[in-house]
Amino acid sequence: MNEENLLIELGPLVITTTVMTTWVIMGLIWICSWLITRRLRIDPGPLQTATEGVVTSIEDAVVAIDSQHAQRIMPFIGSLWIFLVIANLSSLIPGVHAPTRDLSATSALAIIVFFSTHWFGIRIQGLKEYLRHFLSPSPILLPFNLISEITRTIALAVRLFGNMMSLEMVALLILLVAGFLVPIPIMMLHIVEALVQAYIFGMLALIYVAGGIQSHKLHENGQGGSHD
Amino acid sequence: MELNWSTFLLEIINFLVLVWILKRFLYKPVLDVIARRRADIEDRLAKAQHLHDEADRLKAEYENRLVDWEHERQQAKDNLSQELNEERTRRLEQLHTTLKQEQNKAKVSQLQQQTKIAQALEHQALQQSAQFATRLLNQASGPELEARLIGVLLENLANLSQDQIKTLNTQWGRQPESIVVASAYPLPENQRTNLEIALGKITGETIPIQYKQNSDLLAGLNITIGAWVLQTNIRDELKGFTEFAYATE
Repeated sequence: MNEENLLIELGPLVITTTVMTTWVIMGLIWICSWLITRRLRIDPGPLQTATEGVVTSIEDAVVAIDSQHAQRIMPFIGSLWIFLVIANLSSLIPGVHAPTRDLSATSALAIIVFFSTHWFGIRIQGLKEYLRHFLSPSPILLPFNLISEITRTIALAVRLFGNMMSLEMVALLILLVAGFLVPIPIMMLHIVEALVQAYIFGMLALIYVAGGIQSHKLHENGQGGSHD
Repeated sequence: MELNWSTFLLEIINFLVLVWILKRFLYKPVLDVIARRRADIEDRLAKAQHLHDEADRLKAEYENRLVDWEHERQQAKDNLSQELNEERTRRLEQLHTTLKQEQNKAKVSQLQQQTKIAQALEHQALQQSAQFATRLLNQASGPELEARLIGVLLENLANLSQDQIKTLNTQWGRQPESIVVASAYPLPENQRTNLEIALGKITGETIPIQYKQNSDLLAGLNITIGAWVLQTNIRDELKGFTEFAYATE
């Protein structure tokens, strides 16, 4: 274990800077949400308008992929986007490391996406119907489907971890080599990359979840097409 | 690049908690207020649509009413025009009638005026003629004229019929005590005698006669027998002439 990341050790439970940063981010999100939503009005102010814009943008994106179950999966996908944007951008604060540069955090998010895909699929379609899509279009593809489920989860975790860690490393190396103020262009690139990586992670998660939900429809449509 | 299971598990829990926090404190209130706003907007739109429909209905109703009003106005205008024409015709006829009446009145008034003027002229002429006759007779009167008048009187009294005498006897009432004979000039004896004979023949009795002189008579006699007065003199004749002139006005 990296000793730099270790903050508190309570027996088997280890509190790292990643967890602490996550808690701070969660606390900030909680307080901001409470402050913004405690006095919502029909006639909104600028802050409420901005908040409603963020929420409706997330909702619109989810509706564009799966309008039928948007209300169910929107909180999950929206939480991913909001958390990842804040977490990725947190490394711009001096002395703060983004939680997403830790493979443990990105793996946790990826595994949540993995289980959420199956959870929403089974809840909406039923277990038998959901499992049947692993056999489509042919039972021969079952191993490949299973491998795909695992590899795309690993890719999800490693992609985010690799990008965020590499950005921090590059900024650190340039700071060491060239000195003060030189890494600023890289940090600007960091902002863009942080937003892009958050969007990619959330959008992939949305597509995976929507794919798990709508797999039976695709299957039915495929059968219907063969009958035609 | 190593996996810390403790961090891994805590991050899973953290994210699940974060999902709950965001759902509870962000998504639900914001989506609720958006839904309320949408419902409010839809309600306002429905009300606006309702008002729009109502406005359309009222507009159509008012347009129909305006058409009706225009029709009624035109009809009232026609009626008024007709009434005005009738009234104008009636007034013109009335004016013509009034003018004719006024013309007739003016004609009558003119005729009356002319008649009055003629009468006034006639009266003036009579007065002037009476004055002229009076002045002339004043100058021309004398004992001779008086004698001739007495002669005419005596002749007329002599020609009276019995019926006329009887009528005269009933007019002076009871038997008078005396007969008063007034003359402008002193009567000669022969005229007094003839006069007494004529009066005695009329009265049928011998009644004493009192003779008086009154120069106002100009010429002639004024005989009073009780209530009956016989005026045979110039003054009373002229007076009668003037009274006749007044009576003819």
